[in-house]
Amino acid sequence: MVHLTINGQVVQANDGEMLLDVIKRMGIDIPAICQHDAVEPFGSCRLCTVEITKADWDGWKNYVTSCLYPVADGLIVNTHSETVNEIRKTLLDLYLARHPNSLFVRKLAAEHGVTKTSYEEIPDGDDCILCGLCTRICERMGFSAISTVGRGHSKEVAPPLKEAPPDCVGCLACAQCCPTGHIKFSEEGASRSIWGKQFEKIACSKCGKLTITKEFADSLSETRNIPREYFDVCDDCRRKEIALTMGRLAQWSREEETV
Amino acid sequence: MKSRLVVTPNRCIGCRTCELACSFNHAIDGKPGRSRIFVMGGGFKDLWVPVTCLQCDDAACVKSCLVGALRRNEETGAIELNQDKCVKCMACTAACPFGCSIYDSGQDQVVKCDLCGGDPACARFCPTKALEYKPIAQVKPAQVKVKAVG
Repeated sequence: MVHLTINGQVVQANDGEMLLDVIKRMGIDIPAICQHDAVEPFGSCRLCTVEITKADWDGWKNYVTSCLYPVADGLIVNTHSETVNEIRKTLLDLYLARHPNSLFVRKLAAEHGVTKTSYEEIPDGDDCILCGLCTRICERMGFSAISTVGRGHSKEVAPPLKEAPPDCVGCLACAQCCPTGHIKFSEEGASRSIWGKQFEKIACSKCGKLTITKEFADSLSETRNIPREYFDVCDDCRRKEIALTMGRLAQWSREEETV
Repeated sequence: MKSRLVVTPNRCIGCRTCELACSFNHAIDGKPGRSRIFVMGGGFKDLWVPVTCLQCDDAACVKSCLVGALRRNEETGAIELNQDKCVKCMACTAACPFGCSIYDSGQDQVVKCDLCGGDPACARFCPTKALEYKPIAQVKPAQVKVKAVG
C-alpha cells in the first residue's frame, strides 16, 4: 500500500499500480485513448500526461504519462494544472493538424477548447492516430496479424507486406477497439471483409443466424480446446435446446410424481 | 463459492417476473427483452424453463475469451465479464453451449449473468421458488456440478 496525493486529495493505492488506474478510480476524467484494460499500457497517445512532484523535490516538477507511471509513496499529482492543460492542448492541436477529417479527434479537441489547429493541416489526413491499440490487441488475442509498418510520415498499421494477412481470423477486435473508428470492414450476407481478406461467417445450422467467422471458430476450438460443434448453433437456438432438454427432465419427474 | 442458483422448471409458471427483475437490475431501460434470463417453453403443456447462465465449472466462455475478460468471482461463484477488458470479438457468445452469453445491441456490449454480485434479483422475485439461490450445503449433489466442456 502506498499513499499519494491526487489533486489535493490523499488516496491509497496498491503497489505496482499505474497512476492512471488510481486517477480513473477516483472518477477524475482525463483523456487516455490508447489505453485498454485488455492490454498493457503503452503511452503512445500522451494525452494522459499529468504533473507529478514530491515534497523533497524542491519545487521541481515532472510531466509523465500516467498510464505508464507506477504509483509511489508521497507522490503529489495534479491532473489538470495549467501546464498539463497546455500540453494536452498542444497534443490535440497536433492531432488536429494530422487528422483534420477525424470526427473523433475534432470532438475530443473541441472538448479541450481546441477548435482550429495552429499548424499546417494535412488535408487528406486519415483517422489513424497510430496509437497501436489494434496491433496490441491483435497480439494479445494471439494472432499478431497486423502491425505498424514504416517509419516517420509513412508509418501506418498494416498486415505483413500489405497483403491479406494469413493469421487474421476476422474477429473484428481491432475494429471494435479502434478509438477513432479508422479500421474499416464490410459485411455482406455471410461474408466479411477486413484487411483485404475475405471471411465466411458461420450460419446457425438450425435457424441460419450468422455468428463468428469459420476461421475464428476453428482457431478457438484448436487453441482453446472447445469442441468445434459448439460453434455450429447460434445462442438463440442453444437456449431453445437447453430449455427442451430441461423440459424433458422436468416432465419425467412430473410424471413420476403423479404415478 | 457458498451458494448456487438452482432452477426447478416444474415450479415455473412462466410469469417472466425473473426477466423483469433482471432487466430492471441490469439493463438501461428495464426492457424485458434485455434480460439475461430467458423463460422458454419446455416442450410440454404448462411447462416453462427459466434458462440462465449455469456458471459452469469448466466454462466454454472463459476458455474462449482470449483477453481474459471473463473471470470467476470466487466469492459468489459467478463468471463475471469485465466490460473494460472486453474487445467484443463475440467468441463467448458463440462458444457458450447454453447460449447464455449474449450481445446486447442496446448497450453495445456482451452481457451475461453475474448473479447480481451475490444476490440474484431473479431468485429474489421468483414467486414460486422455481429459481432459488441456495447455500451449497442445501443443494443436492447432482445439482452441484455442471460440466460444459468435456
